[in-house]
Amino acid sequence: MANHISSAYDRDLEAIQTLVVKMGGMVESAILLASQSLETRDVDLAEKVRADDKKIDALEMQINEEAARVIALRAPVSKDLRSILTVLRIAASLERIGDYAKNMAKRTGTLVDMPAIAGSDAALRRMAREVSLMLKDMLDAYLRGDAVMAEDVRQRDLEVDQMYNALFREFLTFMMEDPRNITACMHLHFMAKNVERMGDLVTNMAEQVIYQVTGEMPEEARPKGDKTAYMSEL
Amino acid sequence: MTHKSLLIADARTKKRNAAERRFKAYGLSAIVVAILALVMLLVSVFGTGASAFRQTYATVTVPLPEDKLDKSGVRDIEVMKKVTTIGYTKLLNEGFENVVIASGIPTGLSRKDIGGMLSKEAAATIRDHILANPDLVGTEATLDLLMNGRIDGYFKGRVTLESAALDSNTSPEELALAQALKDAGIIHTKFNWAFLTNPDASDQRPEAAGLGVAILGSLYMMIVVLVTSLPIAVAASIYLEEFAPKNRWTDLIEVNISNLAAVPSIVYGILGLAIFINFMELNQSSPLVGGLVLSLMTLPRIIIPARAALKSVPPSIRDAALGVGASKMQSVFHHVLPLAAPGILTGVIIGLGQALGETAPLLLIGMVAFVREYPAAYTPDAGLFGEASTALPVQVYNWTQRADPGFVERASGAIITLLIFLLVMNAVAIFLRRKFERRW
Amino acid sequence: MKDINMQNPKISAKNVQVYYGDNHAIKDVNVEIADKTVTAFIGPSGCGKSTFLRCLNRMNDTIDICRVTGEIKIDDEDIYDAKVDPVQLRAKVGMVFQKPNPFPKSIYDNVAYGPKIHGLARNKAELDEIVEKALRKAALWNEAKDRLNSPGTGLSGGQQQRLCIARAIATAPEVLLMDEPCSALDPIATAQVEELIDELRQSYSVVIVTHSMQQAARVSQKTAFFHLGNLVEYDDTTKIFTNPDDPRTESYISGRIG
Repeated sequence: MANHISSAYDRDLEAIQTLVVKMGGMVESAILLASQSLETRDVDLAEKVRADDKKIDALEMQINEEAARVIALRAPVSKDLRSILTVLRIAASLERIGDYAKNMAKRTGTLVDMPAIAGSDAALRRMAREVSLMLKDMLDAYLRGDAVMAEDVRQRDLEVDQMYNALFREFLTFMMEDPRNITACMHLHFMAKNVERMGDLVTNMAEQVIYQVTGEMPEEARPKGDKTAYMSEL
Repeated sequence: MTHKSLLIADARTKKRNAAERRFKAYGLSAIVVAILALVMLLVSVFGTGASAFRQTYATVTVPLPEDKLDKSGVRDIEVMKKVTTIGYTKLLNEGFENVVIASGIPTGLSRKDIGGMLSKEAAATIRDHILANPDLVGTEATLDLLMNGRIDGYFKGRVTLESAALDSNTSPEELALAQALKDAGIIHTKFNWAFLTNPDASDQRPEAAGLGVAILGSLYMMIVVLVTSLPIAVAASIYLEEFAPKNRWTDLIEVNISNLAAVPSIVYGILGLAIFINFMELNQSSPLVGGLVLSLMTLPRIIIPARAALKSVPPSIRDAALGVGASKMQSVFHHVLPLAAPGILTGVIIGLGQALGETAPLLLIGMVAFVREYPAAYTPDAGLFGEASTALPVQVYNWTQRADPGFVERASGAIITLLIFLLVMNAVAIFLRRKFERRW
Repeated sequence: MKDINMQNPKISAKNVQVYYGDNHAIKDVNVEIADKTVTAFIGPSGCGKSTFLRCLNRMNDTIDICRVTGEIKIDDEDIYDAKVDPVQLRAKVGMVFQKPNPFPKSIYDNVAYGPKIHGLARNKAELDEIVEKALRKAALWNEAKDRLNSPGTGLSGGQQQRLCIARAIATAPEVLLMDEPCSALDPIATAQVEELIDELRQSYSVVIVTHSMQQAARVSQKTAFFHLGNLVEYDDTTKIFTNPDDPRTESYISGRIG
């Protein structure tokens, strides 16, 4: 697509995009660091993740302001309008993901004093890695305007949901085996739920990217793999 | 880099300001020169011509014996007409002498000389008066009668006692008597309405010469010009501006009209001679022919401002009219023409003013005639405006040719009259323009 | 281009070409304009939108070098048919111009001129009624009723344009053509005229040419995008401004070159 006749308009849009990419990078690293801090029981790292979340929040506010400015001054239509709406939604979703990462880091501090639950760390780490890869790919799809890639990201949420199902079962087993595990398992479960929610949010963002590129929200329903609501017994 | 202060003028600004001041000085001096020229013109014209508007008269009681004036005894006009001005002259001389004697002013002049102080026109004046009022016969009549040119000249400073000694038409004694009569109140000068109403007079009677015929002739011609050129010019300019297709032919016509406006007016005189007098055999010297020649000359001079006025109507008005569903004709006549009317009107009046002052073409078609009688608007022989006549500027030319110094004053007086008419016409043009001008 | 099939379009144009001498200004335009709707023509300068608008009331007839071919039907009658008198056509299709151009006459005479020349009123009372109705419909009655005999040129810009609208609707047209009616007006007067257009569409079929895309977006139900003499896209206004089909339309409405 050709440039706007007003080059200042192009610069404004580029600036917002840069902010989004920067925010996305910060959130990606927050996810990875949070799961790493759990694995290595590194309290300092967890503290850092908690502190860095403020920067993520500040970026979201900045993106909101810039977007409002562009709407007021440029009255965008069609594709430009969809870009701005997408940017707002992505920023909001990224901020939520950042909060989940911060939440995970908080619980790590508590879990340090408790014995490790076998295998759960690794599983959680695998889940977090999968989500952060999804996030990275979604950001790529956003930058390149690639709806196909975004659709692919959308489909990968199924795996994350399945991993969450498995972890849920495992925690139930551990808790039933030994009541002393209950506290640790509860915390771990919340962390797993957070990661699963992160996956859903990344899927939201992928759908936004498809909307921006094609002009329509994807018609087919996203794959929903989270069956834990229906589990009555093991 | 140091910034230049705005408060200090640099060299270029100073040069430019000096050049502009010089230019303004040139313009001002041009205007001053023009005004000086105008002032000189006016001073010289008014200086010689203003006196034409005052004329010397004498109050004379004339005896009107029946035996001399009315042989029939029953006031039969036809019989009375047989008495010529010679008969009346004798009565006049008698009457004037009586007045002089009655006033007690001593003089050595004979009755004939005393009578000679009156204008030769006076006899005609009294004859006309009696023929108009036959009942006066048998009594006396007291009238203001015209004094002759030399006496009049004396009171206006043209004639002095020295020049009178050399003059065959007057003598210092006559002048002395005239002065005494003036002091006694019998001779007086009053405003000369006759200048404007009298027909032209012969060389010997400058005091009786008037512009009446010339004014009427000019008026008839203006009527002819108005009636012929106004509709034709307006119609032509409307057609050329609104309806004619824009191609080479119309361009050619436009160029030619501009050229025609610049053609020397004497050429129109030759044209008029060839077409109207030789070919169409209209009456020579008639206001009709004069008017037609002037119309031909005035046509391009009206078409050009009329077209400019039509062009100046903004096209948005025409679009608006067409948009509402008016036809081309309706949009022109209901909207364009009323808006262009002030401009067209001004063009017409200025064209008429120019035509009023034209001399050369009229000379060629023979309106130099010496006309003693007012031309009638219509006579069975001559037709409409067909009687021989003359025009104001031609009259000026005519009088400047004459020998008697009294005519110099008359010619200047005629110029003043012409200028006043032109001034009035231009004032009317300005007034009408102001009144009808509309903002769009 | 998506085919819009309308039931009973008010105006339907087929294969319209317009030439100014050798310049091919309008290239094969096909469009259907709906009744009781506002249709906007947008496009860059010189794209032919005003030229096409002027074809709809045969105002291009006044330009000698202009030649129109193709078929333009209003109510199923070809307006370029030899039997059609353009003068009669223009009573049915009214026009409002870019610069307000009231006649230099009184307000009353401005509005009454059209009905008078078309013989729409039998007596003064009927004419008064027509004038009042037109001024009311143009939202000018309250401001004008006490000064009907004062000159039309004494009104403000926005009022003058509403006077021109009243003048156009006084001849009881069925279609109203507006060529950038608000470009000479300030924002408040513009908003008033736009409000008026919104009311007018209940009675007339309005076609408006505008340079302002926001205005087209605010005021019209259907929008046609012209570019270099072609009709590039014609669709519902919402579609054109949220997700147009043609990339040229997208470029124009986003303010991009090309």
